[in-house]
Amino acid sequence: MSTINPIATRQKEQAKTRTKSNKMPFLLQITTLAWRSLVVNFRTPGAILPPLILGGFFLVIYEAQLGNASDFFLSGSSYINFILPLSIVSSALSGAGVAGQSIVRDIESGYFDKLLLTPISRIALILGPTLAGAVILAIQAAFIVLVGTLLGVNPETGILGLLAVIGYAMLLGLSFAGFTIAIALFSGNAGATQGGSFLFFPLTFLTATFVPISLLDGWIKVAAELNPITYILEAMRSLMNEGWVTETLLTGLLACAILALVTFTFSMLGLRSRTSRK
Amino acid sequence: MSNREIVADNLIKRYGDFTAVNSVSFKVESGEVFGFLGPNGAGKSTTVNMLTTLGMPTEGSASVGGFDVVKQAGDVRRVAGVALQEIGLDPIMKSMELLTIQGQTFGMTRKQAKQRAEELLDLVKLSEFTERRVGNYSGGMRRRLDLALALVHEPDILFLDEPTTGLDPASRRDVWHEVRRLNRTRGMTIFLTTQYLEEADELADRIAIIDKGEIVAEGAPDALKAEVGGEAINVTFADGDIAQQAQTVLTTMAERIQIDRTTLRLYLNNSAASVPKVVQKLQEANIELETLTLTQPTLDDVFLKVTGQRYDADGEAESENEQSELQPA
Repeated sequence: MSTINPIATRQKEQAKTRTKSNKMPFLLQITTLAWRSLVVNFRTPGAILPPLILGGFFLVIYEAQLGNASDFFLSGSSYINFILPLSIVSSALSGAGVAGQSIVRDIESGYFDKLLLTPISRIALILGPTLAGAVILAIQAAFIVLVGTLLGVNPETGILGLLAVIGYAMLLGLSFAGFTIAIALFSGNAGATQGGSFLFFPLTFLTATFVPISLLDGWIKVAAELNPITYILEAMRSLMNEGWVTETLLTGLLACAILALVTFTFSMLGLRSRTSRK
Repeated sequence: MSNREIVADNLIKRYGDFTAVNSVSFKVESGEVFGFLGPNGAGKSTTVNMLTTLGMPTEGSASVGGFDVVKQAGDVRRVAGVALQEIGLDPIMKSMELLTIQGQTFGMTRKQAKQRAEELLDLVKLSEFTERRVGNYSGGMRRRLDLALALVHEPDILFLDEPTTGLDPASRRDVWHEVRRLNRTRGMTIFLTTQYLEEADELADRIAIIDKGEIVAEGAPDALKAEVGGEAINVTFADGDIAQQAQTVLTTMAERIQIDRTTLRLYLNNSAASVPKVVQKLQEANIELETLTLTQPTLDDVFLKVTGQRYDADGEAESENEQSELQPA
């Protein structure tokens, strides 16, 4: 007989740690999962670098091709100011897509199930990657703004306005993140998630993409007026070329809120379908 | 002492018309190693999924550590450690990161979680590889890391779903060693599914054999083997035709006789004493034998007895005559 009963000793130790260690705080769950998502994404930069470079590239092209032709519809204010928000929005969409991609990777590798077997909150499982998407998006938006500055961006509302523009992009990006997460959760398939994400991109073209909405006509005008992104773009553009126009800015915020409400409801349904025990 | 039992009461899992698990009941006592043995597709993983809260029983109930798997899923997750058959590890991450996050989800501080991670990495002999991405680990290393993840919160009950499938013999022995150690030093109840007869025999105090969703035998390995009978005589011949001739000659002698290509297996009450008689009968019939051995009954024999089919880990039941290759050891 040994003098120490290892089982009894362990029981005592365990009783101690169990009373001490409680649940992981909810916010910490989210930031921990977001941090992990970021680490993983930065280790595979292939998914985030190309959109970043493309975003800058398109900005240069738009300015070079349309910059001189824009005098007739912008009456003197600069085209780079007008087109910068579009570039930010496009890169925001690709940045936010990271959220869905992160989740679908975890589902495919089985790590998602591993997390489901821990006491972690189910909502944190989607909010973590969403936060990571938001961070990546902010970095991308900041990069586009930097390129824009080199091309002579000069917003009416100054640096604060630029930050507000990035803020709008983040709100739009978060809605898009909800959309990609929903597809990821419903499908559990990387191809479907990527494909589904592309469905969102036409929305950036069924809007006043290259010219102000006042110059649109016919079906494209109707489409643009129905598209919430139009109002978000208008708000961003007003910051660049007009100043702080309360009504336009609030309309933009409302459009963000509606979009976010829809996509997050969708992703919560996805979460429920994915985590409900079958 | 905490409740470390696993109880399944008439568990049923149906997918549409297909019944994957049919009225499975068993009780695993605290501190026991319970082997859940069956071929591929027999319903082992489906049962584990229900017991570990990933899957919902269609009917019936089960408890783990005294907690109901449906109504008290959170408590079950707290007392149970799980290593699933599909190793769910993010290939981009490093072992230390995975273990730290796992610890944190169970309420440890980052510091505690890191300390625990170091202990576990040491335990599963991965301390030297903490800076390597899990995607670059070998199959055996991944299994060991997965086991470490299941142990982060010092569970009372450990579920191992086919922990050695796809491992080389050396890694398999490492896992066996670890399972025994955890059971002996920590009194952990271990529920282990396997498709390897040898593994169940080696590790489990008690086993249940599951086939086509139903438990067909249950008990201690030795007791099950004893039920099948005593030793068997194995006789091999030059070819299958001769083996068949021999079968006709010997058929009256044995309680049961079984043919596997060139090998005859005879089950008799008193095998050792019957050897001269067998040889004599064969000589009288002018049949030449190649080898003759005595073997203890195996779980394979148990499986054959209860299902009428030879054990095949891939789940494709083979009739006795078509039996071809030997099972992987």
